[in-house]
Amino acid sequence: MSNPGGDGRTHINSPLMRESLQNKGVLATTDSDRDLQIFPDVSLVSIGGQSIFDRGKEAILPLVAELVEIKADKTIKFVVGVGGGTRVRHTISIAVDLGLPVGGMAQLVGAMEELNAILLNTLLAPHGSMPMQRDHFWDLPLYFDAGITPIAISVPPFHFWEPPPTEGHLPMHGSDFGLFQLAEVLGMKQAIFVKDEDGLYDKDPKHHKSAKLYNKITLAELMKNMPAENILDHELYEAFLTAKSLKRVVIVNGLKHGQLTRALRGEDVGTVITKETRRG
Amino acid sequence: MAERRTIASLLSGSTMTGGGGEKLDYRPTAVMPDVKVVKIGGQSILDRGRSAVFPILDEIVAARKLGIQVVLLAGGGTRARHIYSIASELEVPTGVVATLGKYIPMQNARMLQMLLAKHGGIYMLPDDFEKLPLYLQMGCIPVMSGMPPFGYWEKREEGSRIPPHRTDAGVFLSAEFLGSKRAIFIKDEDGLYTDDPKKDPKATHIPRITAKELTARGLPDVVIERMVIEYLPRAQWCKELQIVNGLKPGQVLAALKGDDVGTIISV
Repeated sequence: MSNPGGDGRTHINSPLMRESLQNKGVLATTDSDRDLQIFPDVSLVSIGGQSIFDRGKEAILPLVAELVEIKADKTIKFVVGVGGGTRVRHTISIAVDLGLPVGGMAQLVGAMEELNAILLNTLLAPHGSMPMQRDHFWDLPLYFDAGITPIAISVPPFHFWEPPPTEGHLPMHGSDFGLFQLAEVLGMKQAIFVKDEDGLYDKDPKHHKSAKLYNKITLAELMKNMPAENILDHELYEAFLTAKSLKRVVIVNGLKHGQLTRALRGEDVGTVITKETRRG
Repeated sequence: MAERRTIASLLSGSTMTGGGGEKLDYRPTAVMPDVKVVKIGGQSILDRGRSAVFPILDEIVAARKLGIQVVLLAGGGTRARHIYSIASELEVPTGVVATLGKYIPMQNARMLQMLLAKHGGIYMLPDDFEKLPLYLQMGCIPVMSGMPPFGYWEKREEGSRIPPHRTDAGVFLSAEFLGSKRAIFIKDEDGLYTDDPKKDPKATHIPRITAKELTARGLPDVVIERMVIEYLPRAQWCKELQIVNGLKPGQVLAALKGDDVGTIISV
């Protein structure tokens, strides 16, 4: 083989050629203060598994009705994802007992979320909705143009490659992280998490009557005093810290009609966690 | 309002945050502990072409004939750097860069499969681990991309646009899932040096080092992706990484037989 690089390896001329991609100085040359934002006018809506779907019809149907109302306003663009709830917890507790590797657990759980996605699509399809294949993001302009609500896969595709967790034995990358990351990589306007509480509290309000609700808080303030029992997964906050595009995460109560609508309109409702981004 | 209908389990009602595993009795089961998970470097081996690749494949085929179960994972190399470089200029998010990074290791894996086909080389998709028992019992040499399937879901790392999980991470995480105790990386150096030997001729070889010592040294050009060094102490199974020089005859076969050649990085 020809040897244009002079060291036995054929290189293509590029700024990273022959450089170690482990070198922090080299890596820094690839970075900048901004990311290209692909869909900046779109919101991500995540509907809780335990908090909404596990309550059945009484919680699900009013929320679907609200989504249908929202869809009438064509200026509001959003992608929906769902959590898996109690079946995910059951799956993992059996998997832990069997001693399955963490990557095996991660491979299994997506199926439980998918069940809720199928249910949601069954209810929304008559009004225009479709499950979106894993990373078929480039179909999104078509969905929005046609008034079809895409239902995204919420669990990230870490599967067998789920990294060893920092503590304990459970996969760290669940649906909260997966949907956050989807919103971040596509440069979306905000990620809205629909739960069964009015937002994030300093303590779990289901166990403490004195729990105090955060209305608007910056990520930096929250990180200084992160509630131990949290309505969102820890990995979501970790990803939020290094995220470049997403600056707004909202937690609303899906059991109270109208909260999601207001959040989608950009109003401050529930808990709004904001982040100062470097984007000018 | 209707109550949550929960299935009773040790985790029911839990938020699944902060590990949640204190009350769980976890005795891990290894999936396929005898499998050797082996990476063929992109820039270090594949980009050198026939002169580097053929002798390595000969040794892998020889190992397979001895009954050693090998799964090959391909690295990316200079074409990956090329697309990373252009994508960075366009300021696309890390998740998009990671998705672009999937294609080159896939090409390399396909090249290796074509060369190994007559010896049982079989191309495997990322989620095909469930078919490994069949392939290996048939005497095949499964070949796949080393890139983890994170793609658009790859988190960015502060101060970089390059995906932190690349093919080294994919190899380590594959070995960890399969329950293999050592992941083998075939590169073009004898392993770890005090500095990049391609740039500093005074750099000296390190035969064995712990992940902790390696981190403490803060070497600017670490031979293995940083994520792997971070994960190693947390591993349940894959507690050793072996880096061998594929350009030196006999090293790959020795490593596949379990000999301590090259550099061993341990927990």
